[in-house]
Amino acid sequence: MSEAEAILGEVRALIPRQTNRYVDEWKASGKPVVGYFCHYVPREILLAAGALPLRLRGVGSEDSSRGDAYLSARVCTYVRHVMSLALEGHYDFLDGEISTNTCDHVRRSADVFVKKTAVPFHGFLSVPRTPRESLYGYYLGELRKLVQGLEGHFGVKIGPQELRQAVRTLNEIRGRLRKINRMRLEEKPKISGAEALSVHIASQVLPPGVFADLADRLIPALEERPGLDTSRARFVLVGAELDEPEFLEAVESQGALVVADLLCFGARSVLNPTDEGASDPLDAIGRAYFFGSSCARMIGDFGRRWEELKRLAVEARADGVVFERIIFCDPWGAEIHNILQRVKKEAPFPVLSLTREYNIVPTGQVKTRVQAFVEKIEIARAQKAASGGGR
Amino acid sequence: MNRKDILNMREWREIFETLPVLQKFFSGDPDAHGINSFLRGVAIYMERLLANVDEGKPVVWYNLGFNSELIYALDGVSPLTIELPGALHSIIGNNRNTLDFIDGAQAVGIPADCCSADKIAIGAIHKGLLPAPVCTVGINTPCDAQVLSTQVMQELSGAPFFAIDVPYYHNEETIRHVAQQLKELIPFLEQHTGRKMDYDRLREVCEISNRTTEAIWEWLDWRKQVPLTQSSKLVAFTLILQILFTGSPEGLEIARALLREARERTERKERFFEERVRAIWYQDPVWTDIQIYDWFERELGLTVPVDIFGYYANEGLIDPATPDTMLYGLARKLVNCHPMARQFRGDMDMYIRDFMHLLEAWKADCCIFAGHIACKHAWGGIGLFKEACRRAEIPLLVFEFDMFDPRVTPYEDVYFEVERFVNEIVYPRKLRG
Repeated sequence: MSEAEAILGEVRALIPRQTNRYVDEWKASGKPVVGYFCHYVPREILLAAGALPLRLRGVGSEDSSRGDAYLSARVCTYVRHVMSLALEGHYDFLDGEISTNTCDHVRRSADVFVKKTAVPFHGFLSVPRTPRESLYGYYLGELRKLVQGLEGHFGVKIGPQELRQAVRTLNEIRGRLRKINRMRLEEKPKISGAEALSVHIASQVLPPGVFADLADRLIPALEERPGLDTSRARFVLVGAELDEPEFLEAVESQGALVVADLLCFGARSVLNPTDEGASDPLDAIGRAYFFGSSCARMIGDFGRRWEELKRLAVEARADGVVFERIIFCDPWGAEIHNILQRVKKEAPFPVLSLTREYNIVPTGQVKTRVQAFVEKIEIARAQKAASGGGR
Repeated sequence: MNRKDILNMREWREIFETLPVLQKFFSGDPDAHGINSFLRGVAIYMERLLANVDEGKPVVWYNLGFNSELIYALDGVSPLTIELPGALHSIIGNNRNTLDFIDGAQAVGIPADCCSADKIAIGAIHKGLLPAPVCTVGINTPCDAQVLSTQVMQELSGAPFFAIDVPYYHNEETIRHVAQQLKELIPFLEQHTGRKMDYDRLREVCEISNRTTEAIWEWLDWRKQVPLTQSSKLVAFTLILQILFTGSPEGLEIARALLREARERTERKERFFEERVRAIWYQDPVWTDIQIYDWFERELGLTVPVDIFGYYANEGLIDPATPDTMLYGLARKLVNCHPMARQFRGDMDMYIRDFMHLLEAWKADCCIFAGHIACKHAWGGIGLFKEACRRAEIPLLVFEFDMFDPRVTPYEDVYFEVERFVNEIVYPRKLRG
């Protein structure tokens, strides 16, 4: 086993449950852990409050029945599994949780979190639904209220100094992740999509110092690693919440490689560094999150997301785009319609659309669909080569 | 697109051909002021839309969370809600076209699990039924489905788009936030329609809107009478009235007609069915067969004095004093009164509180949670809602269906669920006291 594989093995061992030993150690040292649902919750603020920001996940949930009882079977399985864990007490170690109006599903889970769990602090961010300058003040106001709430509950001061330190810390983490993501873009990528997603997940469930040490060992080890074969197909993955590397493993098992992604658990979360030199660090944080690469819940921003996807596909020399969404998700339902419309007009790349459930990777179905997609790409490539074109 | 083009489209032609037939049918019942007035209002609205399109006047599209006052205040501009063709086909009983729109939307990539209210709009847009807009307005209330429909509307229309963000909270800051955006919306509308906002005209529109609101409140008060004398099926019309007509003379006329009908029937102590059980129909009306409420009345003695689409919260009128007070009032109407937007966008407390108020004020015996399958915000709160009903010892029926697609839950299954609930649970309980 190579050094890189050994470190990636460590990473995988840290993420199959909603917590890990480093979170336990953080708690044992008397410091708080605060869970959060969505990318639009700035981790810098939690870190500046002396808390460990922990992205809420539904992994390790054996069934979603406790969540189903409150949320019904019409809500997405990601949220239902997270809430099942919370209702079973698996998130009782949290000192607080921050919810948002990301979508109807997360919004309803916030009701259940507040009324039915033992978590002692609940924050909420109402994030405007469109990244327009005139609405940014509302978001910044929400961040200020969150700061006040955390200060009041935890008895801490979240001043410019604490925020600047948190910005530096997380920018350094993002820098390391971007470096790893660049290695995915190479002709022979040094890391698979499933491995890269695991690393990204780890960055959101580990104390920053622990993750930085891990990444500092991983990066040189990856540089030494022989590149992976992408001769069959290179994909960009885009879509809704996804923190299951197993899904990417099923995709990549068909000889294709996910060489780039736009996922909130993945590369999209590190595209936008926060301005470290800004006079008001909270404003800098707010701007980075509010105007950064957007989720499909942001109305009126599809054009920008589409351009971002096309740019990434070119940069990654992608043969195709794989789109994924969890069943019942409306915002990403609009996104796939709009993507297919643009593909019809501009034909920049072929698209495979996959609908999935959380915590269940229907390996056979995914493999069959991806296999057919890869074959379609290979046939098109062979036809193009026969007519004198390149890849 | 002109009048001829529109009338050449089978889907529109069937609406125009059916409306007079229905008008004739209901004119046989001189007391059916509400339905007759609604059909007349639709006919006037459609004729005005055709005339405006013919004259090349601007059309503005919007989604069902928005109200039309600001657009009515722009001279000669036609407000057009994108759900209109599908909803009209459903209301006039022509489900074949509604289902075509749904299937058409799915065929171009809208996932099957998304809301049929979106799909009827998107299917109709893909068919090219809607006259092209000069611009579009999208609002994120009442639910995620609007996040879908607005983004698709923007993409398919290709027209300039303005998004209105309604925050999660029920507070003063939310109203001011929305009012500020309405202020931003005005220059956007002026730029793209080529019409200058005439604040005197807006004042008139707001005053009409206020009188409409007062008529709705009074109408809903008459429906508190036990037994109910006016048909259950009319109550959900508040929503259509607010989306399509609010601020127009037709809207006022419909509201007054509904009021007049309820008052006259009550004063005459008219009862065309025996009321055994009163239910709050919480969630979505059965648009695919609005006559189902007649069946409930006739066969089960079940009446629905009010539902969530019909309830119009008594939270203030628009102050027409200044442009700012008007925008504030319009914003408050959008976020605190507009059916669904009020209950669906925030936490479950408002949803449950409103239900308890309706149950008490309209003297209901039970709740029927008619869960449109795509209403994730409502289904997502079902556990807390059940607990609240259980604590208050309120009989509760919960079932799944699709308000525009009878293929999801057949009528027979809805009948069966409701019949069993009324006859085996609620009525015997009521008899026991």
